[in-house]
Amino acid sequence: MSVSPGRSAGGTAVADRPSPEAVPSLSITGLRKSFPGRTVLAGLDLRIPASGLVVLLGANGSGKSTALRCVVGLEQPDGGSIRLHGEEIVGLSGRELARRRSRAAMIFQKIHLVQRRTVLDNVCAGALGRLPLRHSLVSALFPRELRDEAMECLHRVGLADRAGDTVGRLSGGQQQRVAIARALCQRADVVLADEPVAALDPAAATQVLELLSDLARGQGLAVAAVLHQPELARRYADRVVGLARGRLAFDTAPAHLSDRDLDDLYAAGEGAS
Amino acid sequence: MTWDTPRDHRTPGRGSGLVAVAETAGDPDGRRGAVPAPPSRRRSPSALGAAVVTVLVALHVLAWQGTGFSPAELVRGWHGMADFVGEAIPPDLSWPVLGSGIRAALVTLYIGLLGTTFSVPFALVLAVLGARTTTPNRWVYQAARSLLSFLRAVPDVVFALIFVTAVGLGPFAGVLALIFHNTGVMGKLWSEAMEEIDLGPRDALRTNGAGGVQVVAHAILPAVVPQFIGLLLYRFDVNVRSSLVLGLVGAGGIGFLVNQSIKLFRFDQMATHLLIVLVLVIGVDLLSAAVRRRIAM
Repeated sequence: MSVSPGRSAGGTAVADRPSPEAVPSLSITGLRKSFPGRTVLAGLDLRIPASGLVVLLGANGSGKSTALRCVVGLEQPDGGSIRLHGEEIVGLSGRELARRRSRAAMIFQKIHLVQRRTVLDNVCAGALGRLPLRHSLVSALFPRELRDEAMECLHRVGLADRAGDTVGRLSGGQQQRVAIARALCQRADVVLADEPVAALDPAAATQVLELLSDLARGQGLAVAAVLHQPELARRYADRVVGLARGRLAFDTAPAHLSDRDLDDLYAAGEGAS
Repeated sequence: MTWDTPRDHRTPGRGSGLVAVAETAGDPDGRRGAVPAPPSRRRSPSALGAAVVTVLVALHVLAWQGTGFSPAELVRGWHGMADFVGEAIPPDLSWPVLGSGIRAALVTLYIGLLGTTFSVPFALVLAVLGARTTTPNRWVYQAARSLLSFLRAVPDVVFALIFVTAVGLGPFAGVLALIFHNTGVMGKLWSEAMEEIDLGPRDALRTNGAGGVQVVAHAILPAVVPQFIGLLLYRFDVNVRSSLVLGLVGAGGIGFLVNQSIKLFRFDQMATHLLIVLVLVIGVDLLSAAVRRRIAM
């Protein structure tokens, strides 16, 4: 267990962790981030193990999304440490940062695919970071092997038959699975999902979470997903992490997640806002 | 709990169901009180509003004087226009006039077409550099914006006069003038279109590790293609009409013929040329409207 603020759940966490010695895929220590007028991350500690689905819970403004956005570079942290597979990325820049960061991919609540393009082109775009410009200026230049790899990724999310459709023709749940295929095509082994099912109906949400949990358990990816539904966390998570006021509140197995933990977690959010 | 709300006056007695519901539903938490009046929509006119109106009125009075605007003079001089129109009708529809007019109108169309098409690459580069969503940094952004503003501020007629001194009278000077001016206008319109799009796909590709050019090619441009084509057609429409004016200053095309027939007092020929212009402009307008409708679908 990390140096989380003392909580009852912390004690049980050590026993539940499958392999405590393994280097975590993502390890965040003392992460700090402030926006003008408010502190969002106040020394967050977080470990995402090398495989499994970790669900992040917390009230609005508790720092869940900001933490993930710091990892993929959409926000610049003020301080602290972010290690991907043991390699520090805070304070780095340029090519080396891009190389280390390429192993982490992000899934968004609003999906953020290019609506007018085909499913296959969108998945291929996940590989842009490793393609030279002469193979990527327009999608017609994407190499044959990349298209094959993208089809393989689409197959893994169960949408290979929709490869030629434009994204706009797919349902929300299907689009989110295409976004996951794009992350796979990036060859990421750490997948961060920022409220991936908040905009989906319950059936689509179930499909997306089953896919994420299958990728995490069956195919050895490290998946961290921000959710707002504790019942989904209990059902799909291998671990549940609670954030409050920009710090770790608890880190526990879903079976040990008590209603009191949750009440405290969301009450802390109300107190902060 | 207040009992003097209008609804209570209208309900007849305490035994009525409505009151009973109101009592049981309203009493426990005491929320049922007088409904607050909606906020007043009427505001007294502010000092700022009065000042703006005063300044606008004063400006219009000055403009009226400064332009010598005089409806009376127009009425007094009506016979001058009548003579002019009388000489122009009927138009000279003989084949030599009509044929040369149609050939010149084609040249006008060509000037507008080349002027629009050849400005596309320049407008695209400057639009990408001059849009806040795609520019690499603040300095490049300011430089691109300044260049676009300059190209837009110099009228195409002025560019035409400059290029006539370089390449002589003729359509080529007109094409060059349109390329320069249209780069400024279209670059600005395109960069604004790129600033208005949803930035999610851009951020998503950045987290994929895509570089600046890749992000523009795969996230920004696909999202703005319909707007870009619509604006391009609109500019083609405008440029064909501009190239008429360019003809008046010696850049060839049917504008040149209109100018010539006025100078020779052949108003019947001028009328023919204006009819051809009318057909050309309506044709281009219909075409671009039809294509834009198709894209919007």
